[in-house]
Amino acid sequence: MKRSEVKEYNGQNGKPAYIIFDNKIYDVTDSKLWKDGVHMNRHKAGEDMTDFISMAPHGESLLERDNIKFIGNLEEEKQKEDKKSKYRRLYGKFHPHPMFIHFPMGILYFGAFMLLLYLFTGNISFESASYYALIVGTISIFPTVLSGFISWWLNYEMTMTNVFKNKIVFSAILIVISLILIIIRSNYLPPHSMNYILEVIYVGGYFLCLPILSFIAFNGGKITWPS
Amino acid sequence: MDKKQKKKSLEEMIEVVLFRIPKEIEAMRFYKSAAEKATDEAAKELFENLAAQEKGHEAELRRILNDLKNQLNELKKEE
Repeated sequence: MKRSEVKEYNGQNGKPAYIIFDNKIYDVTDSKLWKDGVHMNRHKAGEDMTDFISMAPHGESLLERDNIKFIGNLEEEKQKEDKKSKYRRLYGKFHPHPMFIHFPMGILYFGAFMLLLYLFTGNISFESASYYALIVGTISIFPTVLSGFISWWLNYEMTMTNVFKNKIVFSAILIVISLILIIIRSNYLPPHSMNYILEVIYVGGYFLCLPILSFIAFNGGKITWPS
Repeated sequence: MDKKQKKKSLEEMIEVVLFRIPKEIEAMRFYKSAAEKATDEAAKELFENLAAQEKGHEAELRRILNDLKNQLNELKKEE
C-alpha cells in the first residue's frame, strides 16, 4: 500500500484506521486510544507517526499489542527529493540573510556619519564619502531583501506575521527613500549647494534611513531570538 | 475572549510556534552531526536520541502550527 492510499484509512465514517510507523502500516481500529481515528485529540489515522514517537509517553513496543495489527510494509513511491529541504540545508550552511544584513547596516550608518561630519566641517571629502556609501548601501539592500525572502520561504513557509509584515513594509520604504536620495544627489551638487527644501529632504531622508534600518534589524532579531 | 482578541492571540501563537521550528531543525542537525562525529557507541546513541527528540519537537510544532492556522482561517471566514 502506498502512503497516499493509507491516508484513506482515517477511521472516519466506518473506515478502518491505519497509521504508518517506520515505513510499516498498522491497523489501530480496535485500539481504544484511536477512537474514530483520532489519538489523544492530536493525531489522525492515515498519517505517518514516525517523527512523533519521541514525544509520546510510550515506546514503539505498543504497536506489538494484540489490538493492533501489522498490515504490511509501506510501498514507497520513489520519493522525489524534497528540494526545499535541500535548499534549506544550503541556506543553513551559508545563512546569506544574516550575512547580507550587515552591509546596508554598516554602510548606511557609516554614510550618515560621514554626512554629519560634512555638515559640521564643510569638508567636501566627507560628503563624497557619504554619497558613495549611499550608493553602495542602497545596492546592498537588494541582495539582503532577496535573501530575506528566500529565508522566509524556506524556514517560515511564507507565513505572514506582524514581524514579517514590518520587515517587508519598512524594507520597501527604505528602498524608496534611498533611491530618491540617490536621484536627488545625482542631479544636484552636495547638500550645501542645494536649495534649502531639497537640502532638508536629502539630509533628513539620509538620517531617516537609520531608524528604519534599525527597526528592520530589530524585527529580524525577534525572529532569531524570539522572546 | 472576543473575536478580535482571539485573532490577536492566535496570530501571536502562530508567530511563537513558527519561529521555534527552524531552531528545532538546527538542533536536530547539530545532534546528527555530533552523532556522526562521535567515536564511542554510547555518545553516538545519546546524540541520535537527542536528534530524534528534536525531530519530534519539529513534527509536533508543525502539527500545532497547522492547527493554529486552521483556527485563524476559520475565524477570518466568520468575519
